[in-house]
Amino acid sequence: MPASPTEGQPPLFPPLQGRHLIRTLSIALLVSALAGLIMFYITRAYVIFQAERNVENLLLSHRAIHLYVQRDMHPALYRYQAKGELSKDFYAPELFSSSYIVRVQHVFYNQARLKAGLPEVYYKLAADNPRNPVNRADPQEEELIRRFNQDRSLTHYSRVVEENGKRYLFYAVPFLANEKRCLKCHGRREDAPRQLQERYPGQGGFNETVGRIRAIESIKAPLAEEYRVVTVVTGALLAGVLTIVGLFIFSRSLHRTVGERTEELVIENQGRLRVEEELRQLNQELEKRVAGRTAQLEAANQELDSFAYSVSHDLRAPLRGINGFGAALLEDYGPALDEQARMYVERIQAGCVQMGELIDDLLKMSRLSRGEINRQPVDLSRLAAGIMAELQNAAPERRAKVSIEEGLRADADPVLIRAVLENLLGNAWKFTAQVEEAAISLGKTEENGVATYHLRDNGAGFDMRHADKLFAVFQRLHSPGEFEGTGIGLATVQRIIHRHGGRIWAQAAPGQGASFFFTLG
Amino acid sequence: MGKKRHLLLVEDNPDDELLTIRALKKKNVLNEIVVARDGQEALDYLFGEGRHAGRGRTPPEIVLLDLNLPKVSGLEVLRQIRANPATRLLPVIILTTSDEESDRMGSYARGANSYIRKPVDFGQFGEAIEQLGLYWLVLNRGPKD
Repeated sequence: MPASPTEGQPPLFPPLQGRHLIRTLSIALLVSALAGLIMFYITRAYVIFQAERNVENLLLSHRAIHLYVQRDMHPALYRYQAKGELSKDFYAPELFSSSYIVRVQHVFYNQARLKAGLPEVYYKLAADNPRNPVNRADPQEEELIRRFNQDRSLTHYSRVVEENGKRYLFYAVPFLANEKRCLKCHGRREDAPRQLQERYPGQGGFNETVGRIRAIESIKAPLAEEYRVVTVVTGALLAGVLTIVGLFIFSRSLHRTVGERTEELVIENQGRLRVEEELRQLNQELEKRVAGRTAQLEAANQELDSFAYSVSHDLRAPLRGINGFGAALLEDYGPALDEQARMYVERIQAGCVQMGELIDDLLKMSRLSRGEINRQPVDLSRLAAGIMAELQNAAPERRAKVSIEEGLRADADPVLIRAVLENLLGNAWKFTAQVEEAAISLGKTEENGVATYHLRDNGAGFDMRHADKLFAVFQRLHSPGEFEGTGIGLATVQRIIHRHGGRIWAQAAPGQGASFFFTLG
Repeated sequence: MGKKRHLLLVEDNPDDELLTIRALKKKNVLNEIVVARDGQEALDYLFGEGRHAGRGRTPPEIVLLDLNLPKVSGLEVLRQIRANPATRLLPVIILTTSDEESDRMGSYARGANSYIRKPVDFGQFGEAIEQLGLYWLVLNRGPKD
């Protein structure tokens, strides 16, 4: 029994199992989720960074306006006052207050944004000591002002805040630190322009000191757009990752399917190879048996040969003795014997001759049934005509009508087929000896594509009840008194026909002739 | 001194021996007939060995040789006759019961001068012996004549 193909070695690919699939899918989902999360944070960080830059830009732009007001407008206004073109008491926030101007210009900025379809951005200058209550810092802003004052290295404060379910970027920078010239309006109240004192009755905005940071500027920008970008980018990237994971799983699955199929094919192939091997072994065994049988047959044939040789030599020698001494008896003592005694001796001699013929025929049959068959094209018509001519020559007194079909050809051993025709035609000739005019014919018909030769005579025929004995050795359907013969001829014929792979049979009735049919395979 | 003109009959069957000698005598073949009853005896006679040692070397006129012989077969006897320079040209007539092609071809291949099959019918047998004797002992001129 050959070993199972998978025995002793792991399968090429592990079989697909539910547990395995679930594990793979879980890992894939976990990886996807992790990737999505990382992508979300990275994208958000980047988007917020960009938003911060934008807000910073805006604040720098506002800072520029503050500086313009303080460093360009104020000196100009003071020059006009010094020249007397403008009253020293004059004060108007629209012209003097940078916080007022920037606040108003931001209102216009937002209007422009809305017009451009962009959301509003909130701007506030928050002071802990405001002149206008609008600029009053809330506690958180106050805290920031304190922090910026404490730590001057802080450049900004930024965080995402949520209000009414919406996200905003809150970004604050310290306002410009007080300088000496700022104290003209933010120092002692009595030093400020008269119209300023009149407009702002309280101490708000006064009593500042140089170097202090008295306010922060902050921007609160909505982040909806940015978050949409984060969502879209994360979504897109996640979709990509999922696609890759999907493809990976599909590929794995495909790979496994291919692996399984390959394994199946390998097993199938091994099965085939095994069957092939078994067939080969069976074939070898058969060949061996055939060779064995052939050897046995050859041995049997050789034994037959030596048997035939013995028969030929050893049986004939005593016969020759009997016959010879019979002749010697007749020659030397003939006159001393009476008629009856001489007749007995003659019968003994005739028996010996008859026995000699029997032995000769047996040997002939044995010889014809052995040896190789050497098939070649044979002209049966010519062969039969020649044999008939010989028979006619041997008995010229006999009247016979012989009809042999022209062009009868066969693929047969010429020596053996000659023996067949000699026997069959010889029989036909022999058994028509007692009819007035013998009629012997040889022809051919095609039956199912097989050439069937037939030989008919109008001779003695035979009883079909005995047809089974026709081709057996030593079987004779006529008494020696009627027709001579050894009873070996048709047995020889049948052997030769069989050796050609053919068949022979006969049709006859007593006194109505016989027909022999044969094929040659 | 060996015998002068004589004939060697190699035959193991006493019936055949008797009948052959009778036929030869009957047909007035007057030569002396020496009989060897197996192959070895034939060789001993021809080559002056064994029982026939010191016989002298006069070979027979012809040898009538059966094939199926005890001890040494007829074909082997023939081979040794042809192999020996003294008997190389000796006429050898195969006289046998066998009609096997192998025997016939084997005999001629080893240099048999003639191959005659013994018929069962004594009439034919006698005729064959008569003609054989006439041809080989009277008509034929042998190599040493």
